[in-house]
Amino acid sequence: MTIPHLKAQSEKRTAPATPSATTPLAQAFKEWQQNTQSPEVTKRGERQTPFKTQALHWPVHPLYTPLDLAATGFDYQRDVGFPGEYPYTRSVSPNGNRSALWTMAQVTGFGRGADWAKRARFMLDQGLQGLILEHDLATTNGYDSDDPLAEGEVGRAGLAIDSLEDLERAFDLPFDRLKYLMSVCNAPQPVNLAMIIAALEAKGVDPKQFVLHIVNGILIEYTCVGRYIYPPKHGLRIATDCFEYMIEHHPNWAPISIISAQLYAARANPVQELAFSLSIALQHIDALLERGHSIDKVAPYFHFVTGIDMDFFEGICKLRAFRKIWARLMRERYGATRPEAMKVRVMSSPGTMSLTLQQPLNNISRLAIMATACALGGVGETMTTPLHDEAHALPADEAIRVGAAIQHIVAHETGVADTIDPLAGSYYVETLTRQIEDAVMTEIDKIMDMGGALAAIERGYFQRELAREQCDRNRALEDGSRKLVGVNHLVHAEERREIPIFKLADEVEAEQIERLQALRKRRDQKTVDAALEAVREAARSGTNLVPPCLVAVKAHATHGEICNAMRDVFGTHHPDAQTAGV
Amino acid sequence: MTAFANRRLRVLLAKLGMDTHTIGVTVIAHALRDAGFEVIFTGLKQTAEMVANTAVQEDVDVIGVSSLSAAHMKHLPKLAEFLRQKGAGDKLLIAGGVVPLEDIAQLERAGVQKIFTMGTETKVIVDYLQTWWAAKLAAEQSGG
Repeated sequence: MTIPHLKAQSEKRTAPATPSATTPLAQAFKEWQQNTQSPEVTKRGERQTPFKTQALHWPVHPLYTPLDLAATGFDYQRDVGFPGEYPYTRSVSPNGNRSALWTMAQVTGFGRGADWAKRARFMLDQGLQGLILEHDLATTNGYDSDDPLAEGEVGRAGLAIDSLEDLERAFDLPFDRLKYLMSVCNAPQPVNLAMIIAALEAKGVDPKQFVLHIVNGILIEYTCVGRYIYPPKHGLRIATDCFEYMIEHHPNWAPISIISAQLYAARANPVQELAFSLSIALQHIDALLERGHSIDKVAPYFHFVTGIDMDFFEGICKLRAFRKIWARLMRERYGATRPEAMKVRVMSSPGTMSLTLQQPLNNISRLAIMATACALGGVGETMTTPLHDEAHALPADEAIRVGAAIQHIVAHETGVADTIDPLAGSYYVETLTRQIEDAVMTEIDKIMDMGGALAAIERGYFQRELAREQCDRNRALEDGSRKLVGVNHLVHAEERREIPIFKLADEVEAEQIERLQALRKRRDQKTVDAALEAVREAARSGTNLVPPCLVAVKAHATHGEICNAMRDVFGTHHPDAQTAGV
Repeated sequence: MTAFANRRLRVLLAKLGMDTHTIGVTVIAHALRDAGFEVIFTGLKQTAEMVANTAVQEDVDVIGVSSLSAAHMKHLPKLAEFLRQKGAGDKLLIAGGVVPLEDIAQLERAGVQKIFTMGTETKVIVDYLQTWWAAKLAAEQSGG
């Protein structure tokens, strides 16, 4: 445990399990400990001293009983309640997953537009209804494919988008079978959004027939992963512009997602993950309220993507606490009154943190366990599965099939989704859910005392907290105090199983650059220059950035050029090592 | 002991191109500082030339590149070349991260002197640098 005040809190909350009370149960518990358990411990010892939770390193007792619930002051109706009703701990949906299963999705994206369309159709054929569009790193970071920094990256980690024409090729899709498309591109958001709107228009797709989901929770990028472009306060303004544009013009779309799974993958423990991502959401909300919107209008649009890794019970309790904390924040902090404002929207995903390069087939069992935990915790609207060969390279077709199958196996073969919140009432699960809730609220208060998420980012607080968790986890793996099969446990040096690895042909980059440069030659440069100047002017004046970006993409200004127009006004973000936590 | 022997090893840790994954470089930075080395970080989104310039300006002994994207085959040979061009070919250039085994020989021929693949324990890297540093100090002393 690395946050002292949380440690104190967890000890305080867990300590009362050894009762001084004199109820019959407390007396019986004491007798069990003394007469039954203790001799066994004396005789055989214990496997670990002490037992601790996987991620938070909180003490784990040998046994949880109603005494633990009594110690937290557990009140069923106040703490847990009923599905579809405040505080939504059990489910935001009145009937859980009994009316419909969650939407099953998977990440995809690589190569040129036509490559992506082919891959996306393959994934829809595997029974997936939602797709997540990942751009390559050049696009995500706001550069064209022929920028020197982009060398070697074009089309590799995702789809390369330089112009509207690229996206039009990618959208050669059966839109009648696509319920949901999420675009992960974040920092260049007004350009990304404008490209998508213009491409749908060119394809004649009715934007009302499916849900476009943009990430847009840009502040996360400054805490980890680093796919930012502009200084954080300008990033926040851009995100707010895109949010406003979407709720005005495309109210059925999803204008923001806080990818808290990104924090999780950066080794945030469950308390940090929730506290950091929620305080970031509050910062985005405050920016919208400052523009005159009401909490009841904007809060229902907020969406989170969280990860469940191998910390099984902490993951389940995190999902349960997540729903309750959001409801409390919206009602207690902002005075929200609409139920939709208090029901958190979550996509959950098995995590990638515990997937290993070694013995990759083991990852299939890890993913199945994590997907089961997602289902037991209530999933949310959507689940996406990472793939067992991700640690090796970009996923191969077989891995995509297995990834989709994992969700179907959990959904159809186990029955875990057939009753709502099946672990509620477990002495352990309810105790841990409450501990996580309390610790998250304390941490959010601490961040608010710093001035909120933006201020905390600017002074490097989140980044340094994450860096410490990263170093601690690495140390625990190196000294063996945390076991990971195939890495530091059950290691078979001689065993080297090859799995098929997806390779992207080298000519992708050359072709993409050629196409981009040809476009620059044949377009009307005067129109492009005027459109870019209009983007600069909007950036300076504070009017919404999306409309001028829409004009610019239709004029075939390139992705990098439009991002550069905003760089001219906003500058770029380059934190020092201290702020970056490195 | 000479003045040389009291000098701390200066390491520049770098991220090249668009690769913004920082967990590896963060863990290494902290492990190297714990080992008593002086660590400088370039920040993200650097070209090979920018890193070579920083290495010269900061007068580091070692340049360590963290690479978690597939672009290592483009950037690393360029960095080695820029270092030679700027008269800094005697600095130790090492790399770590996601580097397929089949790429290692080619990178070594291009001038990357050591590549640590995924899963390398931090103490292996610290030991390697300490050994290299001791040999360099000994050579500087005997060479006058």
